[in-house]
Amino acid sequence: MKINGVEIRDSFAEAFPMAGTRLIITADTPRWARTAATSMTGFATSVIGCGCEAAIERELAPSETPDGRPGISVLIFAMSLKDLKKIVPLRVGQCVLTSPTSACYAGLQGGPAIPIGRALRYFGDGHQVSKKIEDQRIWRVPVMEGEFVCDEISGSVTSAVGGGNFLILARDRPAALAAAEAAVDAMAQVEGAVLPFPGGVVRSGSKVGSKYAGLIASSNDAYCPTLRGLVPSALPPEVGSVMEIVIDGLGEAEVAASMRAGIAAVCELGADAGVVAVDAGNYGGNLGPFHFKLRALMAPAGLAKETLEGGQA
Amino acid sequence: MSGYRLKLRAPLDARLDLTGITPAALAGLSSDAVARKDVFLGAQRVALGELFEVSSGASDALVVSGDPRLDGVGADLGAGEILVEGPVGADAGARMTGGRLVVRGDAGDGLAAGLVAGRIEVAGDAGAGLGSALPGERLGMRGGVVQVGGNAGLRLAERLRGGLVLVAGDAGAGAATDLIAGTVAIAGRLGPDAGRGMRRGSLLLAQAPASLAPGFADTGSHDLVALLLMARRVPELAALFGGGVSGRAQRFAGNRLVGGEGEILLLQ
Repeated sequence: MKINGVEIRDSFAEAFPMAGTRLIITADTPRWARTAATSMTGFATSVIGCGCEAAIERELAPSETPDGRPGISVLIFAMSLKDLKKIVPLRVGQCVLTSPTSACYAGLQGGPAIPIGRALRYFGDGHQVSKKIEDQRIWRVPVMEGEFVCDEISGSVTSAVGGGNFLILARDRPAALAAAEAAVDAMAQVEGAVLPFPGGVVRSGSKVGSKYAGLIASSNDAYCPTLRGLVPSALPPEVGSVMEIVIDGLGEAEVAASMRAGIAAVCELGADAGVVAVDAGNYGGNLGPFHFKLRALMAPAGLAKETLEGGQA
Repeated sequence: MSGYRLKLRAPLDARLDLTGITPAALAGLSSDAVARKDVFLGAQRVALGELFEVSSGASDALVVSGDPRLDGVGADLGAGEILVEGPVGADAGARMTGGRLVVRGDAGDGLAAGLVAGRIEVAGDAGAGLGSALPGERLGMRGGVVQVGGNAGLRLAERLRGGLVLVAGDAGAGAATDLIAGTVAIAGRLGPDAGRGMRRGSLLLAQAPASLAPGFADTGSHDLVALLLMARRVPELAALFGGGVSGRAQRFAGNRLVGGEGEILLLQ
C-alpha cells in the first residue's frame, strides 16, 4: 500500500493494557496551568524507567474547567491500578500542589478511585478543609500562596491502551523530524490519547533484550541507519533516519484514531518531502493483546489515494 | 403509576402528623386503602379519608394541601416527590433519605431536621431549627440540599453535620450554633450570636453581619478558588448570590473558644 508515495508497510503496532486517568489542572493564567501540567507529566516517557507514562492532552478554555480558570488536561498511565494509585498523588503532590495558583480536579468519573486530595490533604496538618458537593468531595489545603484546591479522587479506566506506535522512515534527519512534527500536531487534535515521549517523538526506539545481562531493552538496531550492513536491517537503502511516535490512550479506539491522524499527516507530506515509508513496532504479536495493523488503519484513506494515483501501489 | 392527591376537607383544628405518608407508602394502594390509612390528629388516631379527599393526581408526585398544623410532611421520605400546595407545620422533611419535598408556602420549626439526603424546597419562610438535630440526637442534618425562598428562624443549622442549606432571606439569631460541618449560605441578613460553638463547616454571607458570637478570628480577605469551584458545581449557590461569585471573601475562622476551625465567609 502506498499513500502519496509513502509505503505503508504490512506491519502492526503491538500494544498493552494499562490503567489510566485524566486530571484537569487549572491556574490563574494559562502559563501557570501549563507549567504545572508540564512539570507533572515530566519524566514520564516510558513505564520501563519512569514508572508511568503521562503527557498533556489539550488546553482547556476557562469555560471548560471546574473552577472557570484556564486549564490543561493531562492523561497518566501505569501498568497496574496499584501503580497508578501510587504515582498520581506523588506527582500531583510534588508538581501541582507546589505550582503557583494551581488546582487539580478529576478528569474522569467512575471506575476505580485514584486518590488526589485523599492523600494530599494531610499536607494541611489539620487545617485542611473538606467540602462535599453532591457525591463529590473536594479538599482545600492551606498553602503559603493561599489555598490548594483539589478533588478527593479521580475516576480511572483499566481498559487503557499503552504502546501504540508507528515509525517514520525518511530520506534524512530533517525530513524525518519534519514528518514527526506534522504527525504530533495532527495527533494533538485527538482526545483521549497522548504521546508521552519528548515533544511526542522517540528517536531511540528499542527492541526487547540486549547482549548485556540485566538490560531489558536496547537500541532497535534493525532500524538504525548507521548499522546497515552490520545487522539484518529493516531499512531500504534510501532511508537515512527514523523517528517513532508512541501513543497511549484511554481506550483502543482513541489509540487507533490517534495513529490514523498521525500517519495521515505523515503521508500528506509524502515522498516529495522525503518520507519513504511508515512501519510499526511489535514483538511478533505474542506479548500485547492489542494489534493495530497499519494497512487496516489506513484502508479508507489509502484506497482513495491509490485510485487517484493510478495504482502506484 | 400516578400519585395521589390529598385535599384537606377543612382547615385543621389540631396538629396532624403526616409522618410516613410518602409516595412509596401509598404505592399500589387503592384510593380507598389510602383513605383508610391511620394518622394522628392530636392524640387521636383517625383515618386519612376523614380529613382529606383522596384522588388520583396528574403526576407521580404526592400532592397535599397545605396547613400550618400539618406536621411531619415528607418525614422519612426515601424516594419520589411530595408537593405541598401551601404551608406546612413542624418537622417537614425530617430524616429524609432521598426524594424531593416542595412546599409552596411557609414551613414550621424543625424543617429538614436530621436530613440524610434528598432535596427540600420551601418557597416561603422556615421556622426555628432548620437542619438541626432531632430531639435526643447529637447530629443535625448530614446531607442533602435545603432551599428556603424566604427567611429562616432561630438557630438555623444548629449542629449541622453536612449538606447544603440555602436561605434567600434573613437568618434569625443563633445561626450555625454548634455547627459541625456542612455549608450554609444566606443571601439576607445574619441575626445576632451566629457561630457559637461552631466546629467546622462554612457559613457564606452576602451581607456583613452586625455581630458574631465571640470566638472568631478575622483572617482577612482572600481570593478563594474553592468559591469559584463551588459556584460552578452548585448553580443554585451562584444563583443565590446573584448569578456568580468573585471568589473574593473576608474569612472569619472559628469558633476558637471551642477550638473550632469553621469559617464564616463574607463574599465580596
